Amino acid sequence: MTAETAASRNLAACHICCKLASAELHHCPRCGSAMHLRKSDSIQRTLALLFTACLLYIPANLYPIMITEQLGKAEGSTILGGVVLLIHHGSIPIALVIFLFSVMVPIGKLMSMFYLVWTVERHSKLSPRQRTVMYQVTEFVGKWSMVDVFVVAILVALVHLGGLLEIKPGIAALSFAGVVIVTMIAAESFDARLIWDNMEEENSDDTTS
Amino acid sequence: MNKEMACHGCDLLVDVGGLKSGESASCPRCGHFLTKYRADSYSRVLAYTMAGLILLVMANSYSFLSFSSSGLESVITLRQTPGAVWEYGMPEVAIMVAAFIIVIPTVVLVLLLALCLPLERGIYRPWLAPIAKAIFMSQNWAMVEVFIIGVIVSLVKIAAMATVVLGISFWAYAGFSICFTLAVATLDRYQCWERIEELGAAQA
Repeated sequence: MTAETAASRNLAACHICCKLASAELHHCPRCGSAMHLRKSDSIQRTLALLFTACLLYIPANLYPIMITEQLGKAEGSTILGGVVLLIHHGSIPIALVIFLFSVMVPIGKLMSMFYLVWTVERHSKLSPRQRTVMYQVTEFVGKWSMVDVFVVAILVALVHLGGLLEIKPGIAALSFAGVVIVTMIAAESFDARLIWDNMEEENSDDTTS
Repeated sequence: MNKEMACHGCDLLVDVGGLKSGESASCPRCGHFLTKYRADSYSRVLAYTMAGLILLVMANSYSFLSFSSSGLESVITLRQTPGAVWEYGMPEVAIMVAAFIIVIPTVVLVLLLALCLPLERGIYRPWLAPIAKAIFMSQNWAMVEVFIIGVIVSLVKIAAMATVVLGISFWAYAGFSICFTLAVATLDRYQCWERIEELGAAQA
């Protein structure tokens, strides 16, 4: 028995309430959300957002995310600079956390999203199942990159000692927050079902129950 | 009873009808989680929601963190975190931070209360569907647990410079983030909408 998908019966599933309804309807009969067989222009939208995120990621790394003013002397620190500084202070675990969430996660997300979009219409070494897991991980880790922006917000509010010591937010905080939000929207606009739609019937081990 | 659901990950049609309380279903093809049925799920969500709301009030009433160095001290509340960013000329970042850590989580919890009180007692209300829609659309944008990690990282970053004390508000917020995460995770999307439809049909 071959796998029977909702699309093969011309049914669309509402992404808000899971309702199955005829694909001819444009709005979900249960919750009223816009309904499509597949998310519309998924690939183009995802790609456009991914390129936006790449562009935003450049100023996010070049400009300081945080400016420390100590006795009137201002010193900016970039995301990577902050990681290096933490290593110098000996806070290796925290340096790793920042490196993971602010460098590895955004870059890894961009790369895996580009890979998923690229392989939708081409042959991939990874099975659809592996790519689905890859997509789920990408979707899950998305918001964790906001850690660095929150750290800046907390330090700016907290470190406020007259003219002695002050911390101000740098312009990179804005572009980095932009990267996180845009990649989150990119992951949301990608339709994981496309991975399976274009799959050739080469996999003989059918797991339909 | 045969109840079909399309997998969100690969569009496979799966029958999720005969689940007993406590059982969950995943897609046999792509492994994506489908649904979990619990007979008492709405009471559970209500318990987490109410605890979360009480903790949220506490988190907003006391000092969040205090920082002191060379005789000078600065104390902040939860709301001052986005407020300070605003004052330094980054209203966009301030709005985002306020939305992700306070506004969206609060709205979601209040809506959960409004949704689960009638659902738990099996009463139909015309606002159930719009409320559920708002919850499922906005829940991904709440970042309470990420903020907790942010606080811990900030503490370590400045621990060498000065003495930092965690206020009552921080502990309340930490408890709130646990309750919030549990409440959102316990409310099952598929089961909740099926229930709303059932109640609506019984009403008509």
